[in-house]
Parts: sequence; C-alpha cells; structure tokens
Amino acid sequence: MSRWTKLFSGESTSSAGSAKQRLQFVLVHDRNEIPPGMLELIKDDVIAVISRRIHIDRANVEVHVTHEASEGKLVVDIPLLLSEEPVSGRTTGRTTGRTQTPRA
Amino acid sequence: MARIVTITSGKGGVGKTTTTANLGAALALQGHKTVVFDGDIGLRNLDIVMGLESRIVYDAVDVIEGRCKLKQALIRDKRAEKLSLLPTAQSRDKSAISPQQMQQICNELATEFDFVLIDSPAGIEQGFRNSLAPATEVLVVVNPEVSSVRDADRVIGLIESSGKGPAKLVINRLVPMRVKRQEMLSADDIVEILSTEIIGIVPEDESILAASNRGQPVSFAGKSPAAEAYRDIARRMTGETVPIRVPQDGETIWSRIFGGGR
Repeated sequence: MSRWTKLFSGESTSSAGSAKQRLQFVLVHDRNEIPPGMLELIKDDVIAVISRRIHIDRANVEVHVTHEASEGKLVVDIPLLLSEEPVSGRTTGRTTGRTQTPRA
Repeated sequence: MARIVTITSGKGGVGKTTTTANLGAALALQGHKTVVFDGDIGLRNLDIVMGLESRIVYDAVDVIEGRCKLKQALIRDKRAEKLSLLPTAQSRDKSAISPQQMQQICNELATEFDFVLIDSPAGIEQGFRNSLAPATEVLVVVNPEVSSVRDADRVIGLIESSGKGPAKLVINRLVPMRVKRQEMLSADDIVEILSTEIIGIVPEDESILAASNRGQPVSFAGKSPAAEAYRDIARRMTGETVPIRVPQDGETIWSRIFGGGR
C-alpha cells in the first residue's frame, strides 16, 4: 500500500493483504487435514511431555504447520529456560534443563 | 482425439456456466467442433444462459435411459454452426447418472467433436465426480475472494488425487481498480496461493448480466473485455501463444508467471 493510500485509509494492512495471509494459513491446515484448534491441544501435550524432563518457557512455546512443495511439516518451537533447578517431582531420566541448548 | 474439458470450481456462483458457454462459443467460432454439456442434473442452466432453453426435447438422462439417440438430444446452435449443446435433465437428481455413464456419453461425443466442455455442478459430491470422470483436462474457475480461493484449493487437490491434474485456473470477475487499491486479491496472489498454472483472467464486466438476460453469451459478438478474455482463453486452449494480460491496466504478467524465476 502506498504511503498516500495508507494515510487516507487509516489502515495498516490492506484487506487484500489480510485475505492472502488468512488464506495461506487456512490452506496449510486444509491441505494437511489438521484443524487449527488441534494445534492448541498438541501444544498442551508437548508442554506436558517435555517439561517432565527439562525446564521450558511454557508461555512461548509455538506450534504451527507449514506446507512446502507437497510435504506438510509440524514445527514446534520450544524455548528453554535458564535454570539449574531440577524439575520437581520426577526421579527418572535427566531432570535439569540444559542451559546451553539452542532452541528446539 | 477429442479433448474433454471439465469446468469446475467447488464454490457456486463463480461463473462456471458463463465460462462454459463463452468458451464453447469462442472455440466454435474459431473453427473447432464443440459441444457444451451441462453436468448439473436437476439444476440445469447452461441452456438458459445460452438462450437454447426453448429447443430442448430430450436430455442426457433420456440418452442414458434409452429413450432417444444421442443425436436427438443434441441442440445445434444456429449462431455458430460448429457449436452444440447437450442439456441435462431438470427433474432428476445427480444419482440419475453414474461416472461410467458420463464416460460412455463423452466417448460417443468424442467421435463427433473436437472439444467436449462439461459444465460441472458446484460442490465436491457425485455431480462433481460425474463431471470429472471423463475429463482429459480440467479448468478451475476462481473469483478473487477468500471463500472461492479456498474451495478452489480443495477441488484442485481432488482433481490431482483423481489423476486428472494438473488443473488450470480461470480467474473470473477481477476488478482491476480494486486490485490497485489493494481491496482485492490480485491474479498473482491467487496463482501464488494455489500454486497452479493460469489460463486466463476475465474481468468483472457489466455486459455478462445483460448477456445471460438475453441468452446471448458475449463471446458470440461482444467486444466487451470479458468477451476478449474468453476468446483469448479459447486460443490458449488450442495452443496459441497469447500473453495473459491483467485486465484494463494492460500490464502483462505472462513473464512473471511463465518466465521462470519461480
């Protein structure tokens, strides 16, 4: 959108731009047969499983689906928490978050 | 070898019937023996859009059920000697014909015509399946509008999985001024979102409504932008190299779509 149109319309994103973004989002889900709301459930599951073992930044976990060429991909981004505290209440496996691990 | 081209869209009301009628007229006037076949049993409209409704005696279901010969059901269009219409039944439903029977009729039509254009019903149920079964190629009509693009993506997937792909896009009812103001998806946006080849862009055109009011598709005589766009698509279908133009603003997107780099 040109500066002038932006100035007069008072919009930051054009409606055509929103249409494109929303379509790209919904089509990735349509093509992979994963309803968008399902990702919230997967996210909760992932948080529960991973945080049994290591400290993670629960609030900033992101789960989304991408679709490139003909291949769908589930992408999970889990920021780790800097902490030396053992994960409470678990006795099996490694129980501390690794502070130097790059993002998953 | 005749080409059997199914025109579909998923969503209703995007211009399948108008596209079928106009491509049929354009192909016939360009010298190709063409039959347009209404695939929408129970909701037939190709006849009225083409102005041939008063001449129907028999229809495709009568042919299937043995009440007449195929030739008796065909209506020759007096405006273009190479154009015929095969109407469908109005008082039956989609289950009156099976995909195998569609194939049979089309095999018979293929011996007489260069092009068989099938006007598919909206939706993805049996009527769509019937219309897709005999296709040797498929055109998907899409409007620059979210619901139409989403439905187009769905049918493109179904066309692929039935082994009938790749489909080609007819972008219909584009309003260049609204694209310019970024109020409407552009042809480029739609091609990018659907990653499907385009065969033409038809602008929104007032003369289309008047044409269907009168039963006189614009491709027969009109000089309107839509008529020109349909004639160009017909020429591309027969292998001519006609640059794809974005309506009115005259900018060619041919190079951007076909010139590599993507």
